[in-house]
Amino acid sequence: MIKDFLHIFYPQTYKLANGKEVKEKFNAAPYITIIVIIFAIICGKVTGFDLPRMFARGKQFWELIGKMFPPNWAFFSSMKKPMIDTIVMSLLGTVFGCLLALPMSFYLSANFKLNKTYLTIHRGVLSLLRTLPTLVYAQLLSIVIGTGTLAGTISITIFTYTICVKMLYEHIETLDMGPYEALQSTGASRPKCMIKAIYPQLRGYFYSTVLYCFETNVRSAAILGYVGAGGIGVQINEQLTWRRYGNTGLMVLVLVITVVIIETISRNIRKKLVQG
Amino acid sequence: MSNNRLSIDQQLEKFPKSWPKFVAIFLSIVIIYILISITITFKGINPKGLMIALSAFKGLFTPSLSLITNLTQYGLLYMLFETLAIAFLGTVLGVVISIPLAFLASRNICPKWVNSIVLTIISIIRAFPAFMLGIMFVKSIGPGAFAGVLSMTVGSVGMLSKLLIEAIEDLNPGITEALDAAGCSTFEKIRYGIIPQLSSNIISIVLYRLDINVKNATILGIVQAGGIGAQLIFAIGARRWNDCGAMLLGIIIMTLLLEWFSTSVRRKLAGSKD
Repeated sequence: MIKDFLHIFYPQTYKLANGKEVKEKFNAAPYITIIVIIFAIICGKVTGFDLPRMFARGKQFWELIGKMFPPNWAFFSSMKKPMIDTIVMSLLGTVFGCLLALPMSFYLSANFKLNKTYLTIHRGVLSLLRTLPTLVYAQLLSIVIGTGTLAGTISITIFTYTICVKMLYEHIETLDMGPYEALQSTGASRPKCMIKAIYPQLRGYFYSTVLYCFETNVRSAAILGYVGAGGIGVQINEQLTWRRYGNTGLMVLVLVITVVIIETISRNIRKKLVQG
Repeated sequence: MSNNRLSIDQQLEKFPKSWPKFVAIFLSIVIIYILISITITFKGINPKGLMIALSAFKGLFTPSLSLITNLTQYGLLYMLFETLAIAFLGTVLGVVISIPLAFLASRNICPKWVNSIVLTIISIIRAFPAFMLGIMFVKSIGPGAFAGVLSMTVGSVGMLSKLLIEAIEDLNPGITEALDAAGCSTFEKIRYGIIPQLSSNIISIVLYRLDINVKNATILGIVQAGGIGAQLIFAIGARRWNDCGAMLLGIIIMTLLLEWFSTSVRRKLAGSKD
């Protein structure tokens, strides 16, 4: 029994009827599993993971949710403004970011054979910028240009730009270059060739990228309020700290419903874009 | 044949009209202008703002060495490792929870009424932004990395199970039927029929989610759920640009390394499939 179990760790040899020996392929999966489990245990130690505490305190989590219902509808008038701010911020950030990204992605895709050094440097800078969360931009900007929705909008714009450019130029590199070359052979200028031959192929993907960015931005924009960059996040925390659970419940409900509505609409449009 | 050919005028008439496009563009510009004017207020650049921006920029290139070389709990490396640990453990636990959920929600495994119940649960979980789960767990379990791990776990379940469902519904039933015909037991059918089909998909989904979770874990600190985020925001707020530069550098390097690792593994898995 134990021997059977140990066979998982090293390749087995089978002896066939004609005396030939067949060796199994080496399988790394058990070793990887053990490494993952050990690393998970170390991580559990570092993060102070303990199950008894979770079960003991888990009741409080449900109590917290229970206290949030029924939501306090009267609070709606004072949460309207930050909620609209959150949505508008992410909308404007998405629009500006994607509009900036569209022309830039043409210049960053490798199949137009533009300046290679410039291309590598710009791509490198973008992937550096992409690693930083929106919150960091928002905090930096709110110090420089003052707190408010402007800082939030600009930071969302930067973040959307970095993501959108990458998605677009990766897609452009897979497109059919035939029409582009055909137009070039008629003597059309390079930008004109891009607009007339490449953009029509890109259009559906571009719109679906915009919607995808909008979806993710609405989720992430909610937190920007923490650094004073506008939005609903900080109010949720405030009301929860002041133990006004009804108000928190209402905000959570409105936020979740908004996210679901936006997601449903954008998923339906994107499905149509992919088909058509 | 010649009847079908259009004259130049007819061809021009058939060409889609361009004015609806211009009207749409004009209207969207007007809408954007209105939105800007009602929500965004520009108070003017903080007079010290440019100076601050300059010193911040300088700080990014002169990261504080004392923070990097500090190996205790308040050092950079420990904070980065804690962030990574939150993301990793959250992803692992999320996978453990979402695999059975995904099997329950796949149309080719379970009956329809089970699917619809589980799918509803998944879509409710998906709707909560990560930081809100963070706030709720911090308030109920107490601040610290543990709350971060739990919110990562719950946050990952939604997306992971949605992608897993797609993978499971693509399973080829022919293979399990063939194994059935060969007289395999249920365990052998799972081991040789289902796991090989799913494993590369699952690994690439999990690595993709791990990437996202590390990014989320860096900001989760702001709701006191552990990780580097809180220290980073404090450092920016207190204008300790050298510390801030070191932390940003750490985040950038960690994220890039992880991204490189996961894309190379995923590319290898995708290559081995064909």
